[in-house]
Amino acid sequence: MLSRHAEDLYWLGRYIERAEDTARMLDVTYHNLLESPAIDETRAWKELLEVLFLDAAYPGPLEGRDVSSYLVTERANQGSIISAVARARDNARGLRDGISTELWEAINVFYLELARADFEIDIERRAYEIFSSIRSRCQLVSGVAAQTMPRDEGYRFMLLGWMLERAEMTCRLLAVRYARLAGEEAEMGFHTWASVLKSVSAYEAYLKAHDASLNPTKVLEFLLLSQEFPRSVLYCLQLVERLLERLAESPQQTPVERAIGRVRARAEFCDISVIVNEGLDQFLEELQKEIYDVSEEVEEHFFRAGTDLQLHSYRWA
Amino acid sequence: MEIFDEVHGPSGVRPHYRQLMERLDTIGDADLADRFGLIESIFRTLGITFAVPGHENGLDRTWPMDLVPRIIPGDEWRHIEAGLIQRVTVLNRFLDDLYVGSQEAINDGIVPRWLIESADGYVREAHGIPAPGGSRCVVSGIDLVRDDEGTYRVLEDNLRIPSGISYVLENRVAMTRVLPVGFARHSIRPVDHYGASLLRALCAIAPPPVVEPTVVVLTPGVANSAYFEHSFLARQMGVELVEGRDLLVDDRHVYMRTTRGLKQVDVIYRRVEDEFLDPVVFRQDSLLGVPGLHGAARAGTVAIANAIGNGAADDKGVYPFVPALIEFYLGEKPILPNVTTYLPWEPDHLELILGRLDQLVVKPVAEAGGYGIVIGTDADEATLAATAKALQANPRGYIAQEIVQLSTHPTFVNGHLQPRHVDFRPFVLCGDGIEIVPGGLTRVALREGSLIVNSSQGGGSKDTWVLEDGLEDAVTTR
Amino acid sequence: MRLEIRYLNEFAYSQPAWESHNLLRACPAANDHQRVLSYRVDVTPTTPVHSYTDYWGTRVDEFGILEPHDNLRISAESVVENGPPHEPSEDAPIDSLAPLAGELSSYLRHSPHAVWDDLIHETAREAIEESEGVVEAVTRICDAVTASLKYETGATYVGMGVADVLSQGKGVCQDFAHLGIAMYRSVGIPARYVSGYLYAADQTVAEAPDDPELDVQTHAWLEVFVPGHGWWALDPTNPQPIGELHVKIGHGRDYEDVMPLRGVYHGGAEHDLGVHVSITRERLAQGTDQ
Repeated sequence: MLSRHAEDLYWLGRYIERAEDTARMLDVTYHNLLESPAIDETRAWKELLEVLFLDAAYPGPLEGRDVSSYLVTERANQGSIISAVARARDNARGLRDGISTELWEAINVFYLELARADFEIDIERRAYEIFSSIRSRCQLVSGVAAQTMPRDEGYRFMLLGWMLERAEMTCRLLAVRYARLAGEEAEMGFHTWASVLKSVSAYEAYLKAHDASLNPTKVLEFLLLSQEFPRSVLYCLQLVERLLERLAESPQQTPVERAIGRVRARAEFCDISVIVNEGLDQFLEELQKEIYDVSEEVEEHFFRAGTDLQLHSYRWA
Repeated sequence: MEIFDEVHGPSGVRPHYRQLMERLDTIGDADLADRFGLIESIFRTLGITFAVPGHENGLDRTWPMDLVPRIIPGDEWRHIEAGLIQRVTVLNRFLDDLYVGSQEAINDGIVPRWLIESADGYVREAHGIPAPGGSRCVVSGIDLVRDDEGTYRVLEDNLRIPSGISYVLENRVAMTRVLPVGFARHSIRPVDHYGASLLRALCAIAPPPVVEPTVVVLTPGVANSAYFEHSFLARQMGVELVEGRDLLVDDRHVYMRTTRGLKQVDVIYRRVEDEFLDPVVFRQDSLLGVPGLHGAARAGTVAIANAIGNGAADDKGVYPFVPALIEFYLGEKPILPNVTTYLPWEPDHLELILGRLDQLVVKPVAEAGGYGIVIGTDADEATLAATAKALQANPRGYIAQEIVQLSTHPTFVNGHLQPRHVDFRPFVLCGDGIEIVPGGLTRVALREGSLIVNSSQGGGSKDTWVLEDGLEDAVTTR
Repeated sequence: MRLEIRYLNEFAYSQPAWESHNLLRACPAANDHQRVLSYRVDVTPTTPVHSYTDYWGTRVDEFGILEPHDNLRISAESVVENGPPHEPSEDAPIDSLAPLAGELSSYLRHSPHAVWDDLIHETAREAIEESEGVVEAVTRICDAVTASLKYETGATYVGMGVADVLSQGKGVCQDFAHLGIAMYRSVGIPARYVSGYLYAADQTVAEAPDDPELDVQTHAWLEVFVPGHGWWALDPTNPQPIGELHVKIGHGRDYEDVMPLRGVYHGGAEHDLGVHVSITRERLAQGTDQ
């Protein structure tokens, strides 16, 4: 297929996942603060912005209302939910022949809802409703995609973007939260870990697999290495690896396949207790870097030539 | 002035319309109104809309199709077909002769050299670019009108990027849903093979050694008002719809960037205008084109349809010379006559035009879409004065024509059938030979008395039924 | 005179450029007054160069470089032998131009860089008011152009209209040529733009230099059509007739048609261009070099 279409689908997946992750983390942060007044609000919002790599760019006060509007409706913020959905919609519009009508409609309705003029006012009054509606809109998009898209090359590129974004996001969440956890009181630790799990919709799944004591090592292991939980880093990487094998369709291993093989193996064969003892932050940093390398290789291998290029011209007088 | 009505002749409803009109009578206006509403929703569901220029941010309008189809009997169609084949054959000959030949027609004074050299659509960079088989007008849209006697006349040639074929096909689809047609004895000739025919024509112009050519449709992108048609045609042909940035040129060969690497492209059905095609040679600020494409075309490794520079032949100032070109190249009389045209750059014509400005229609040579046309009988004093001034200042910029009272056709407006003016744009395909899908775009001016049928100016369209020979009475509808 | 011309155009990109596509018009024209003994183009990074003759009869060298590159070096070396000035031997009546209007219409109409206004037309008309023949009229307009503009490097930019150039009163060789073309066409004298090389130390003084080898620039002048004679070359930047010091590359309606180098490339990089032309007079055995 055309590189441009593949790239648009890849980014469509990434944008929707990004919107969903952002909404979920906002939701959890917001409600944690309501439930546990002891938590330092400024620090909580700062951390959220750090996870999203937006702490440096954020111009406003570290308060719930401001950070929320910045992350949801601020068009000037390239990392806001509305920016992500708007870009997903732009991509979808250019791909009308490459995606199902249902998927286009799901994304379009999502965008139109976010773009409604009164949305901003809503956010102050009905935070919970809004965050959960964004999440369910994202889930609707992924559900519609899964139900209506043929399992062809295009679908694989979309899923590839989706999974890489998810893996990256979970890593980032863990890295930021772990850095803070180092000196936590046990009790505070519980809330933090519970919110980490909730941030990736893993709280219930974790309780099912383990118990409510929330052993930090087990939480980490669950989010990093679970073979069953669909948002764990390993789960995402395994899926990415299978997708890339199909997409590369080459008898020899391509650089992109080597890159994913490397990072998947690092995750799969690691010993969580060793990691915790020797330094989780360094492990997460390396993991993030290797996931990033995979994204780079994907662009290089499949899209590089198709990127939207600036054209300059020169004439000589 | 007498006006020719397509349906009602001097002795009542014309034979080929009888069954249809009886059927419409039985259905009744109320039911027709319901069905009319259905059209809107069908087109909206199909996503068939068009953007109105000047309303960039407005919502696209759905394509206005009328309920009452136009019917062309078989013998009439054969006449039209013969005339179109003759005309397009000659236009191709003329263009090929101009760009890669010896310019016979110009050297023999059939068309003045200065006229061609001053045509906006004449592209000097197209000199030397081969067109396999001499097929430069792979897709032509020839606009026909019927005068007060019912004679089909050519109003305009569109040899660059004629659009509208998608509406022809979608009109037929919608028509069969809204007014189910009993194709008794298969009397209505089908149009749905257009995609296959277009692909065949495009393959025919592939650079010679290529056996199974890779064909693409090149679009300026989603922002283009005809994007729907571009994507429609790519789908109908089963080929890739690409933008300029999807293609690249390496050592004078064109490639498409795919997830499996570069794939060579042999034929480009481009819907990008000449001046945007290649920023190396044409407009340097164009991001719509493909750098190096001109060189590849010149080297003959890729075929471009329609060929670059066709505007030299469909310039309105060149139009009056087409009948002479037909005689020059074929030694034949034109089967489809032109409309009587006056040339403001000829002093005696200019005098005549200025004297009869309120009876003529004046058209800018370079505009399309019905823009800038002044119809003398409808214009006020100030407009006529401004037109006279413009003609004198830039005679090469205009032509003047006798006003043709386009034929009328019953059209469903405000709940009733009312006569409205129509024209007709058949699409002519030229690959190995010339093929014309039986039918075309009938455009209708929805405003009472209006002669401007362009969709951008409040025009609608009709499904157009070409009947099999000898089956004039066979149309039945349920 | 036999001249060896070395044209060198170099680009250094601050970030890699890729998918660069270029058209070079640097090859001397072959005609009755000028013989091309050799011509050779070299491009680095190495890439195939294809050439063709364009509508105007100018040789175009076409090349593209796909791979990312930090530098682009284009060199064109030619050896030409040209002859003395070829002036019209007798004048032609002004009205002998009228029948040629159709044939030469391209050289009589406005073109992007030669759009005239009333002032330009008026200046040209006044200059030829009492001329009896084409040659006389042509000479007078050429003198008018020379008198209207002062040569000043950097006073104008590509795309500046000739009307603005005239009101500003200064420009470079290109502006002299465009203004002249506009004036000629405004009074019905067919005129075209010429791109080429000038073997002179100063663009405004067409004198053979003392040094056999000289760094110069590309140059622009014009040609007008004189009935009974054909195209006649004049250089409004210089009052002297055109002869052995001028080496023609090609002609067109204006600069746009015969631009020495045009192209596009991808990459967000700044480019740094430097053009060098050096010309060497060759010693000939029989002393035909004057």
